[in-house]
Amino acid sequence: MTQVQPTQKVYGAWQQIPVTPSRQMTVDAQQMAAHWRRCSLSSDFWAQYMSLFIPTRVTEEYLGRGEVEQVLAYLLNELFENCAKFSNGSHQLVRYVAWSQDDSMLFQVTNHILPEGQAPFAKLIDEMLNNDPHELYFQRLEENVELDLDGSGLGYLTLIKDFGVQFSFRFRPQENGSTAVDVQAKVSLQQE
Amino acid sequence: MSDNNLIEGEGYSVEHNPGTHVVSFNGTMRLKTSADYAHINTLLDRAYQETGDDEKLTLDFRHLQFLNSSGINTVSRFVITSRKQNKASLQVLGNQDIYWQQKSLTNLQRLWSNVTIDIQ
Ligand SMILES: Nc1ncnc2c1ncn2[C@@H]1O[C@H](COP(=O)(O)OP(=O)(O)OP(=O)(O)O)[C@@H](O)[C@H]1O
Ligand SMILES: [Mg+2]
Repeated sequence: MTQVQPTQKVYGAWQQIPVTPSRQMTVDAQQMAAHWRRCSLSSDFWAQYMSLFIPTRVTEEYLGRGEVEQVLAYLLNELFENCAKFSNGSHQLVRYVAWSQDDSMLFQVTNHILPEGQAPFAKLIDEMLNNDPHELYFQRLEENVELDLDGSGLGYLTLIKDFGVQFSFRFRPQENGSTAVDVQAKVSLQQE
Repeated sequence: MSDNNLIEGEGYSVEHNPGTHVVSFNGTMRLKTSADYAHINTLLDRAYQETGDDEKLTLDFRHLQFLNSSGINTVSRFVITSRKQNKASLQVLGNQDIYWQQKSLTNLQRLWSNVTIDIQ
């Protein structure tokens, strides 16, 4: 079982799960960025794959299979896109892992950045997890019109605000000089 | 229909009908950067200019399965720039069976009160 090392930093409600599931995938971030539609393809595949856990008929309080598939496809595409766009340094490995839980599904996507990239990303995470996502979302939209930023900064916020996804983040410095970024996303299978 | 009213990419298309003032989106649109969305922006801006002040421009998303958050940013930006010009109003058509549309399209109405949303 892995322990949180003192050098690791965690943001949000991190779930420490000892069992690694067999549902996982590793890809190369550079390859994904170069062949962009692989983000879309991988997310649609895993969304459909995971949605088969959902029975064909569910009671009213639960999301149906089709709905789950659409939520997951949206979520995973945003996560894979981020790995493809923001991986930095010589370590380009991206790892995807998924757990099926009682009333939720949990996804963890890992990519690597340069150590100096941690502080600015962590600042953004802090802001995102400790403010009203609704306010932040509209504030960011209005700002984006003035600035011509490359990332719109709306990915996580949209998922939190419109899809009710719960995020948690972990930074792990590696011996090879890179820093691993683990993003955990929890999707509730119950209707809001 | 002239070429600059139709954008066709891998897996998606965007078409402007100047006669009916409708821009329709089809397929799955998950482009990489805001620069990749620039031509969509150009088409939308032109469609808006070609719509009379007392007319309305319709954005029809009913056949758009997916739009990533960069795409949502592009559409939202268009709504904000239209609001700043404050001319033709906007109508947004969505599809009840497409989950992101159910959840996210109403955000556009919050950006400008002259946007009506119709999720069918
Ligand atoms: N996996 C990641 N590794 C490193 N940095 C990341 C990662 N994911 C997000 N970031 C940082 O967090 C910011 C916010 O990410 P988010 O997905 O919300 O928006 P975006 O990717 O900039 O724009 P959009 O998702 O709307 O296209 C990014 O701009 C980037 O700086
Ligand atoms: Mg993103």
